[in-house]
Amino acid sequence: MQQLLNGIFLGSIYALFAIGFTLVFGVLDRLNLAHSAVFSASAFVGIELVARFGLSIWVTLPIIFVFGGLLGLVIERVAFRPLKGRHDAHFAGLISSIALGAMFLALLQAGFGPDTRRFPPDAFPQQRLEFAGAVFSVLQLVIVVVAFALMVGLTLMVSRSRLGRGMRAVAENPHAAAVLGVDVDRVTALTFALSTALGGVAGVLFALNVNSAQISMGSSIELKGLAVIIVGGLGSLPGAMLGGLLVGLAEVFAVTYVGSSWRDVIAFGLLFSILLLRPQGIFGARQVREI
Amino acid sequence: MAGFLDSYASTITFMALTGVFAYSFYAVLMAGQLSLAQAGLASAGAFTSSLVVPAAPLFGVIPRLVVGIAVGMAVGAALAFLLGLPVMRLRGVFLAIATLAFGEVVRILLINQSWTGGAQGLSFPKLVGIPEAWLALAVVAYWFWRLGGSRLGRALAAIREDELAAKAMGIDVTRHRMISFVTSGAVAGLYGVLLAYFVRFADPNAFGFSTAVDGLVTAVVGGTTLFIGPLLGSTFLTWLPELQRAIGVEAGWIRPFVSGLLLLLVILFLPGGLAALIPHRRRRAMAHPDAPPDLPPLPAPGTPIASLRAIRKEYGGVHAVRDVDLDIAAGEIVGLIGPNGAGKTTLVNIVSGLVPPSGGEGTVVGIPLGSGVPAHRIALAGVSRTFQQIKLFNRLSALDNVLVGAHRVSRPTLLRRMVLLPSARRDEKRALGQAFAQLTRVGLADRARLPAGDLSYGDQRRLEIARALAAHPTLLILDEPAAGMNHVEAHRLSVLIRALAEDGVTVLLIEHNVRMVLETCTRVVVLDFGEVIAAGDPATIARDPRVVEAYLGAEDDQAEPA
Repeated sequence: MQQLLNGIFLGSIYALFAIGFTLVFGVLDRLNLAHSAVFSASAFVGIELVARFGLSIWVTLPIIFVFGGLLGLVIERVAFRPLKGRHDAHFAGLISSIALGAMFLALLQAGFGPDTRRFPPDAFPQQRLEFAGAVFSVLQLVIVVVAFALMVGLTLMVSRSRLGRGMRAVAENPHAAAVLGVDVDRVTALTFALSTALGGVAGVLFALNVNSAQISMGSSIELKGLAVIIVGGLGSLPGAMLGGLLVGLAEVFAVTYVGSSWRDVIAFGLLFSILLLRPQGIFGARQVREI
Repeated sequence: MAGFLDSYASTITFMALTGVFAYSFYAVLMAGQLSLAQAGLASAGAFTSSLVVPAAPLFGVIPRLVVGIAVGMAVGAALAFLLGLPVMRLRGVFLAIATLAFGEVVRILLINQSWTGGAQGLSFPKLVGIPEAWLALAVVAYWFWRLGGSRLGRALAAIREDELAAKAMGIDVTRHRMISFVTSGAVAGLYGVLLAYFVRFADPNAFGFSTAVDGLVTAVVGGTTLFIGPLLGSTFLTWLPELQRAIGVEAGWIRPFVSGLLLLLVILFLPGGLAALIPHRRRRAMAHPDAPPDLPPLPAPGTPIASLRAIRKEYGGVHAVRDVDLDIAAGEIVGLIGPNGAGKTTLVNIVSGLVPPSGGEGTVVGIPLGSGVPAHRIALAGVSRTFQQIKLFNRLSALDNVLVGAHRVSRPTLLRRMVLLPSARRDEKRALGQAFAQLTRVGLADRARLPAGDLSYGDQRRLEIARALAAHPTLLILDEPAAGMNHVEAHRLSVLIRALAEDGVTVLLIEHNVRMVLETCTRVVVLDFGEVIAAGDPATIARDPRVVEAYLGAEDDQAEPA
């Protein structure tokens, strides 16, 4: 039971990271590899806000949401929009986002130094709760609640709101969407902003969960994020949620029953078998080939 | 000079090693595939070599490093092959992520082995210095240089540009993709061995995701369409930090920042990578191209070419083609007409092997149709086609497009090119002669050097025909070749098609321009709702009331010029 809960805590963060990742892929067919840099940057900035200005977590999270979103706007404007219409936009987008991500991380190092950072010890209530024989902290409960609230909110927004309709139209066919009066550039930018806003919040929650943040924290979750979105189906929001939980649970159980050194084999083994058995993922739509 | 070599010995060696690693990415990127398994393959090669490299030269003559390299490359190639078997059907991002996962699994497996030293790593003897590293790089670069102009190199470029069109030109896409995969694995293994015996230490964790990304970045920055690209990429990325240090930029964060910035600028403003800065070397002007080679004669008029019996195709309940019988004999120009959605394109996709029929039987140029028959086999047997949506290899020149078309009638030249045999050159000239003859036939000889993507719409249509003709096809399928042409151009096309038929090429022509079909074809088949509703000579078809009702009546108003 304890393992199950731990898996859910970890998995919900993976899911939150991955849902932003997959949103951009689903709508724009691009993989944004600077997503993990936003994750790291937000964790550092979040710690700074709490440690220096003594803000509570409820104030910090919305600020980080906006901060992550702003970084997303920058990423879209600098690394993706100039590539529009280029035949190699796929490769080029991967590389340009890697480059921009590296620049973010360099700036992060300039601002905060290369060392591991932590939240101040008394920043959050330390109470422990007990549920069905498992112990967890209030903080962990907060993590799960925030992660799920954001994910459900995003899913509702995509399926209900005007912006969500625009996103789905652009995903289907950007030209047709433009003809129908959808401002494709604006929808694209907002998609990026939302995506990285969630990635930023995921970064703070992750730092809270393990109470530490390193500059390199993004690259390990990037791999997990890729695993998650493939397992769930590229572009599928519910798939990313479920995939995140699955990978989180698989990891926690692998550590308990197989040994920590094999933890990542489980996640990638899962990813590999999904790719071979069902490349579209658990929830992904079938890819149609045209002749 | 000696001082420079001494003070920068390590950088100079790393430059060569980075170049070798970048070539392992180039090997797959040139075929349009994105693989990230190379770091894992490199470490597998390095660690395996540590098991077999002897303490003294093998048999007293074979240097220890050569043994290590042979083993490392074999391991890299073998693992790449094993990985390729299941993942070869994946494309794009899926392929990248699957190979990335494979690389990570290799890393974790190696960490958990005792013979690799686990996370502590393993010491290696120092066997690699500047000469060894640069010799290896020179050999690899030479390989890719000679690959570029060979038939194999063109086939890989064609797959990168348009897989489906490559298939329709008789290129076995799966086999070629596997070749590039295995090549990449071997080069990655080479890199692993060189690196380990240069730095005298290896740790599985050093071959992770970020290593793979570095290799990819090097290859892409250099450029993935010219063999010199990886070399340029490694020069740029190896010397950038040195340059920054030389001008006194030392702060820990500035270097990665500037590197990232430059990388961003290169990728945004130099789409072809650094190799795009190199002026295009023009192939020697072909004032007197060789005459087209003698090719085997086409079947005598009247020989059965295609024979379909009750062919059906359903897409989830929609009957695109139902119970169609169709016979085509050598020398015919068969027109296939019908309203939009009548199943014309589905039918020619079946005939050319791109789509397996759901039912019925058929034979095309001696090959039975069915789900187990890959399209390239039918193409190799002599069926060549154009596409309704133009599918050219856009970044290749018009001439190279047609050379890819000549894949079927040319011979592999790579190995002979490696040893500079004159016979390879003769074969290349034969293929060039064949390609030029086709360009001349459609009237594009003066535009041979232009990238196909830059040609006008009508020229692109004609180039597609030239490409299809270069295969010396028994059966030529033209899917709406006159779409978007005016009446003068359509008439010229009609003259060309009849000239082809006189040369013995059998033609299956799909067209909406009914007037053109009637004036070109010897026989016309009319499809409606997936069924043949009429067939016969043009004069009969033009009078058939069912045809007029189903098609001509409605079409007439639009097709007639104002």
